[in-house]
Amino acid sequence: MSIFDELQQAIIDGKAPVAKEVTERALGEGVRPAELFPNAIVPAMNEVGRRMRDCEFFIPEVLIAARAARAATDILRPLLVGDEEVRSAGTVVCGTVKGDLHDIGKNIVAMMLESAGFQIVDLGVDVPPEKVVAAVREHGANVVAMSALLTTTMVNMKAVIDALAAAGLRDQVKVMVGGAPVTESWAQSIGADGYGKDASAAVETARSLVAAA
Amino acid sequence: MRLKLLSCEIFFREFCASVARSPHTIDVEFLPKGLHDIGTEPMHERLQAALDRVDEKAYDAILLGYGLCNNGIVGLRARLKPLIVPRAHDCITLFMGSAERYMDYFQNHPGVYFKTTGWVERGDADGELSQLALGKKLGLNQSYEELVEKYGEDNARYLWEQIGELAKHYRQFTYIEMGIERDQIYEQRTREEAAARGWKFEKVTGDIGLIERFVNGVWDEKEFLVVPPGHRIAPTYGGDIVAAEQAD
Repeated sequence: MSIFDELQQAIIDGKAPVAKEVTERALGEGVRPAELFPNAIVPAMNEVGRRMRDCEFFIPEVLIAARAARAATDILRPLLVGDEEVRSAGTVVCGTVKGDLHDIGKNIVAMMLESAGFQIVDLGVDVPPEKVVAAVREHGANVVAMSALLTTTMVNMKAVIDALAAAGLRDQVKVMVGGAPVTESWAQSIGADGYGKDASAAVETARSLVAAA
Repeated sequence: MRLKLLSCEIFFREFCASVARSPHTIDVEFLPKGLHDIGTEPMHERLQAALDRVDEKAYDAILLGYGLCNNGIVGLRARLKPLIVPRAHDCITLFMGSAERYMDYFQNHPGVYFKTTGWVERGDADGELSQLALGKKLGLNQSYEELVEKYGEDNARYLWEQIGELAKHYRQFTYIEMGIERDQIYEQRTREEAAARGWKFEKVTGDIGLIERFVNGVWDEKEFLVVPPGHRIAPTYGGDIVAAEQAD
């Protein structure tokens, strides 16, 4: 088993201490930090996404896999600063909309995006539109990803889009939405650019939105 | 009129009290609250099956005692007789007496978990439906011990922080008193649960008017949707909450 396969397996199995140890060992053996993303971390999280779609993995398995991926990326990120070869996949401002306190889905999406190479600015839950606008400005975000779990709060997704437009930022940032009651047609009706049916679809959506920008 | 009321059991006492005083003849069927926990599609299927079992020829209209309930009623079809649905996101609108009052309270009180007679005595699903509950299927609702057994001590500690306490962002119980309670036991139990969790407790006075207008046949368009035969329920995500659309 190559060291890349070892790391991949540790992530899929949700073994954070093993992922950390393998990452350190790989670096000790002279593997460049940037190589570990395309060869181990990204394919591992793609596999986790597939297993989730196929109902082989449920929320706990996804969470511990994402935690293991984070154990590796926490070591690697500081080493990547200034590495011209490694370009961030983009910056995503994410949060659960105002009035809504559900965060498990949003957290999973954030962790999946992070291990796919995105920089994440997580604003938490019950996020007012002004806070999204300020974060987009401060971090020069490419994508805003909003979550809602209630039909009473999903209308606040439109408030975020309106606030971005009012601030003159709507053309600079793509907006994607998701959460149990959210549908593709709802996303279109409020003028969002993308919709993620589940966490792995959200990663695909974020990638294509950044590519199209 | 002769009406059929198909309702979530969460309204059991409120509907029984109101049906008793209705000018109309109403047959009542309550369905388990646990239907809410099994996911949108399965909830829809079971509600449609319950509607399809109704001998519609015997009635002038069918009353659906549900809110939009996380889209659980979306797509339900009226066949031979009109289907009457309150314009409500969920049951709290019916307890509060209007969608406006509920939204006003909801927006000014994030993190509130509501209690009523039904939520106190029928809030926890059991039996078959608890096994089908989405939370269970997604791997949530596990005890710390179960998490340790499946994922090891280290991961279990992490998972417990993330998903162990599903209500971690909630901080208040609001008991809605409807005026039909025979004693203080429901309020008392809610106070005790709030104390046990260290949450705030608030009591608000509900308004049974919307439930009464529903069973009395006073179906103002602003408060109720009348789904004509051959149509189905669609969500609008606007102030009117639900609309009727032509069924295929």
